[in-house]
Amino acid sequence: MAMTDPILSESAAKVRLRRQGEVLRSLMTNPTTALGMIIIILLLGMAIFAPYLMPPNIPDPYQMPRDWGATRMPPGTPGHPLGTTNQGGDVLYGVVWGSRSSLQMSLIVVSVTVVIGVVIGSIAGIVGGWIDEALMRVVDIFLSIPELIFALAVAAILGPSFTNIILSLCIVFWVKYARIMRAQIILIRQSDYVQAARVMGDSRFNIFRRDILPNASTPIAVQATLDMGNIVLVGATLSFIGLSESGIAEWGVLVSEGQAGIASGRWWASTFPGLMIFLWALAFNLVGDGLRDALDPRTEGKR
Amino acid sequence: MTAHDMPKAPVIAEVRDLRVQFDSKRGNVHAVDGVGFQIRDGEMLGLVGETGCGKSVTGRAFLNLIPRPPAKIAGGRVLFRPRGGAPCPDCAGEGCEACGRTGTETVDLLTLPPKPMRAIRGARIAMIFQDPGKALNPTLTIGAQLAEVFLQHRSEALLAEAGVSPEETGWQANALRRMAREEDRWLDRRLKGLPPLSSAAAKLDAALDAHVAAALAETQIPNPARVMRAYPHELSGGMRQRVMIAQALACDPDLIIADEPTTALDVTIQARILDLIKTLQRKRRTSVLYISHDLSLVRRVCDRVAVMYAGRIAEIGTVAQVFADPRHPYTQGLIAAVPRAGTGRGHLASIPGSVPELVDPPPGCRFADRCAHVMAECTRANPVAREVAPGHQSVCFLEKTGQTAAPATSEASTT
Repeated sequence: MAMTDPILSESAAKVRLRRQGEVLRSLMTNPTTALGMIIIILLLGMAIFAPYLMPPNIPDPYQMPRDWGATRMPPGTPGHPLGTTNQGGDVLYGVVWGSRSSLQMSLIVVSVTVVIGVVIGSIAGIVGGWIDEALMRVVDIFLSIPELIFALAVAAILGPSFTNIILSLCIVFWVKYARIMRAQIILIRQSDYVQAARVMGDSRFNIFRRDILPNASTPIAVQATLDMGNIVLVGATLSFIGLSESGIAEWGVLVSEGQAGIASGRWWASTFPGLMIFLWALAFNLVGDGLRDALDPRTEGKR
Repeated sequence: MTAHDMPKAPVIAEVRDLRVQFDSKRGNVHAVDGVGFQIRDGEMLGLVGETGCGKSVTGRAFLNLIPRPPAKIAGGRVLFRPRGGAPCPDCAGEGCEACGRTGTETVDLLTLPPKPMRAIRGARIAMIFQDPGKALNPTLTIGAQLAEVFLQHRSEALLAEAGVSPEETGWQANALRRMAREEDRWLDRRLKGLPPLSSAAAKLDAALDAHVAAALAETQIPNPARVMRAYPHELSGGMRQRVMIAQALACDPDLIIADEPTTALDVTIQARILDLIKTLQRKRRTSVLYISHDLSLVRRVCDRVAVMYAGRIAEIGTVAQVFADPRHPYTQGLIAAVPRAGTGRGHLASIPGSVPELVDPPPGCRFADRCAHVMAECTRANPVAREVAPGHQSVCFLEKTGQTAAPATSEASTT
């Protein structure tokens, strides 16, 4: 048995890979999560290969190209499979390049807010005392205002631009991570395995690095995945009400610019970008839920 | 104070009048109220009592693991004399009050600064936890968790095995030193897999793996190399407890605090884990403080036993003394409550009443309102320990008056 055992010859890196493989398998066996994963892979593929799928013919590819000779064309028009907007923008171009805008927005906001939230939450959880009190009251104030309204207020103060939307989302979205991180630290600090690590003579820094951080990361990762969807939803809403530049390839902007035509039957200019926002938010929510089940080693084998 | 059935070994650890109180909304909870006992080198001392009697708090005091706040140490000392320790700095080995007239360096674990405390934890005093499922980090492999002990306390040995001599300088040797102490920096981890560092780093990893595998093999784990690569959730409860024992014994400590190490396990596994602890303890002559609520387990493995009730010691003596001649009415009740093969159906003995509230308790014996022999003075003053035989003490007024409690069985009510 000893020699044929595959686990025997594994290196530490392979062990980690095996665990990741288990997580992935557990993700893919859940049909709704698998669906979410497939949608995400397609959307990411679209974002990454946008320059090949829809080669831009103007210097700034994020600006919608205008074809003034073919405005308000319905879907199925040769050269414009999803139709064109009032200004002659190709809807398909907007859908494809809009995925790039959304990916940029969600990735930037999630990475910035996770770092801010984890650092602030860790400080609150580890230091405690009046610093913890002060930080958590700030978090309470942030949480008492609905995300969308808060982001809207910040973006309105900063002035209408896509960059300012990203900035305002960063200011709004870190609070949940701080909350989660602090709660996790307080919970994990009392766990027996942290006590056991202390009993082994481990330093505080090593306990934080090896025991607290990896175990706190599960709910953070789940929240980050869910936020990948929510951020695009909120960001598109801000664009929709005009807090972004007009004429850029961004789903919220496209929905906004197309809505005037809906009453006169030109449904396509708003519907396709709107559908993309829906798919994006849905996919990340499905995967976020699946991840919650898969990342927890204790729930393994229950399904 | 000589235990008559064994040669007088030096006292390795000593609890003196330990008082631990917890702040609660209803008042001050006197969880541990004047506990004192000694642990001799190489002996296994059982600490027995009901849930909430303060036995775990007492055990954790040895490793300074009592959370402060909410708890506070209201008094007392927990003294520790490591084996082969340096001569006492106060009296140069002559024997003074500070070292308990032993001439060996004695530390008070309750007031020790964090750095020397860390050097003691894991290397000199180790702990086995009640629930091995909770005491292992679910995100690390068994090997990575066991490696921790060696990285904390055996860096020099690891470096020697990796071929790094203490005189060696230069960035490579320094990087390896940081790795062996688990102080490796970001850059060290990046360079680890690349030459010229990779070959020495691989040797270091191999040395670490060898130490971990040896520690696991010691606890009779089949196929240690496989277990090292497993995550805690992939192992059974018994295996996890073996891992915890391996971790506790890894650096050959002088004292192990075993806090109900078999309570969370199946009955069939319990006996095997218990035998393992006993075997390893005998082999290495490690002192063990065995905390349990189960008298029969303590009787089986321990040399001496201390019975705790409501934050105080009720009776202490060798296992033979206490079980053959229990003097304290509480001990008598406890022994009578252990069901025997001959006990008829429906005749389970118990002690009437329940453990008293420990919030700002009044003076007097804590057991008074459950005791069949209660006298007027029991509620007026605290009873003091009296020697009933060499090494056998009972904290009860009955000893002073010369009376002996009647046989235990008639005291316990039958339900």
